Amino acid sequence: MTDQDTRSTQTATHSTERTGSTDGTADHVLEIRDAEVSFEMDRGVSRVMDHVDLDVHRGEIIGVVGESGSGKSMLASSMLDAVVDPGVLSGEITYYPEDGEPVDVLGLSDRKLKRLRWEEISMVFQGAMSSFNPTMGVREHFVETLEAHDDDVEAGMERARELLSDLYLEPERVLDAYPHELSGGMRQRALIALSLVLEPEVLVMDEPTAALDLLMQRSILSLLEDLREKHDLTMVFITHDLPLVAELADRIAVMYAFELIEIGPTDEILRHAAHPYTRALLNATPNLDAPLEEMRSIEGAAPDPVDVPDGCTYHPRCPLADETCVADDPDFRQVDAAHEAACFHWEDAAEAVPFTGVDVDADPQTSITEEHR
Amino acid sequence: MNWYLKRTGQALFTLWAVVTVAFVLAWNVPGSLVDHMVDRIVQNSNVDPEIVRESIESRLMFDPEASLLEGYLTYVSALLEGDLGYSFVAGQDVSTTLAEAVPWTLLVMSLATLGMFAISLALGAIMAYREGSWFDIANTFVGIVTTSVPYFVAAFLLILWVGYSDAPILELFPPRGRRPPRVDPGFTVAFVWGALRHAVLPALSYLITGYGLLALSMRGNSIQTLGEDYVRVAELRGLSSRRIALRYVGRNAVLPLYTSLLLSIGFMLGSSVVLEQIFQYHGVGYWMYEAIDATDVPLMMGTFIVITVCVVIATFVADVTYSMLDPRIKSGDQGEAY
Repeated sequence: MTDQDTRSTQTATHSTERTGSTDGTADHVLEIRDAEVSFEMDRGVSRVMDHVDLDVHRGEIIGVVGESGSGKSMLASSMLDAVVDPGVLSGEITYYPEDGEPVDVLGLSDRKLKRLRWEEISMVFQGAMSSFNPTMGVREHFVETLEAHDDDVEAGMERARELLSDLYLEPERVLDAYPHELSGGMRQRALIALSLVLEPEVLVMDEPTAALDLLMQRSILSLLEDLREKHDLTMVFITHDLPLVAELADRIAVMYAFELIEIGPTDEILRHAAHPYTRALLNATPNLDAPLEEMRSIEGAAPDPVDVPDGCTYHPRCPLADETCVADDPDFRQVDAAHEAACFHWEDAAEAVPFTGVDVDADPQTSITEEHR
Repeated sequence: MNWYLKRTGQALFTLWAVVTVAFVLAWNVPGSLVDHMVDRIVQNSNVDPEIVRESIESRLMFDPEASLLEGYLTYVSALLEGDLGYSFVAGQDVSTTLAEAVPWTLLVMSLATLGMFAISLALGAIMAYREGSWFDIANTFVGIVTTSVPYFVAAFLLILWVGYSDAPILELFPPRGRRPPRVDPGFTVAFVWGALRHAVLPALSYLITGYGLLALSMRGNSIQTLGEDYVRVAELRGLSSRRIALRYVGRNAVLPLYTSLLLSIGFMLGSSVVLEQIFQYHGVGYWMYEAIDATDVPLMMGTFIVITVCVVIATFVADVTYSMLDPRIKSGDQGEAY
């Protein structure tokens, strides 16, 4: 990595004090500090992402979970400094290449940002259906990407063919096709190959399986797992589907109302979720083993981005809320070594919001995964 | 191959249907060609009207007393032999008249169509990129105003302001006729240049009144395309904005306008009847008007047939080329989207 912005080095100094990892040794590939996205609207400023701090460890798969409109897509776009206009992104995002100087993503010039995107941090969008230009063959998408980054097209296409066949596609057939000639699952896999063709270190996936059927979702997940091992990838997997990401992710971060509210290893989150919202979310997740009568939706509705409640944003819906929650916004509290939750009453959450699904409580990870493997 | 046979069959059927319907209508146009011609000749000379009448009737394609069916059969059997009949109005064979008129109409039409599409597509795309800017708002306004002006009003204004203007540059564009006097036809610079100069004002009348709507649709399509995911992904992939504008936005925004191109050909042919009269431009439309005015059935039919053939060919070409433009539409015998 030679393109380093001069401003980038200064942010590298203050790094690993907070959030997620307490075992200071963790090797971070991305550090997000105090990231905020706001939109000017007629009704006022709409803050669709609020003070998010997050470290992404090198080589991990981190799942970011939240309901629709909780700000998770904004978090994904932020990592590439690709928030759509007129959204304004502020805060600090630092990228640590495998070797070389740290990069201040938000301070990059346009030219350097162009190199960072796709070459270092790549992205798979929700809606693979619409991510390809319908009037252009699949091959041309690969070629133009390589050309735009002054890459060797021959070698790059060789990589593309290998990626495609790793994803169980027939490379030549897919490359010769037009996007509409591929099925949804094929198109999704072709898009993943396209996002990896420049060999990025980090792959950000925003609801990559949203439009696919369940079986296709599962098979894409196992392909992603293989890809990570083969290419030493770090993956950020953004979804609303907690059970889905639980199969794949090493760690899970939960977003509610534009903020990160809990983060921890997948097992920890599934078994000992400490934030009342996370627990309620787990209870709301359909499960084949849980009786239908025990399914709970979360009372109330997610807040309006222009008018977020004071204090803890979850207090209007939280059974544990008291005056403190209304008055103050809780910081992250240490639940366990690598497990943090932004709740004043996290110690009481397990009692106040008991898990309903019998099996989930017993051994959630295996009960979810083993059925499908 | 099958598909082309089928298309040809469809085209022939369309042609037959148009000939039949048009003949019934033309036959029933009130007035008599003979009366018209007799009046015209007698006005200018002192010949005995009865002698003129007899001489005309002897050269008529149809027996003046014939029924519609007899007339139709006479006409169609002549047509099948390649004979379009004799036109009294033009004073020569219909086929000669048309062969000589069609290229001029096509010249004006292609100038207008090419110019209109070039301007509208570029303008619409620029407006979309600058959505909400001063440039966009002003052009939207101008586009709406010019679109609501009928082409023949524009034609009169152009004749008034440009054709009869004293400004030396504007004299380049003559308000009437189709080619410069005293220049021999042929592929000489003087002739081609003269023909182009004469075609400018009629073509402009179409262009000025037609570009607005097209530019506004292009603007709308482009704005929609700009919001597509694939444009955003292309930006993140680091493609140049030039490539995105041409291959992503422009290419996809143009597709729905392809149908407008087809419609505009039909529209222009139809309006050439009035426009060529205004500019005294001797093309197909001019002769159609003259033929209807004099109830000259063979000439009327000839012009109808020419226009139908043009539209059928244009449709065919559009059908075949659309699949090249949009890979999602299949052409040929791979199946059609009905």
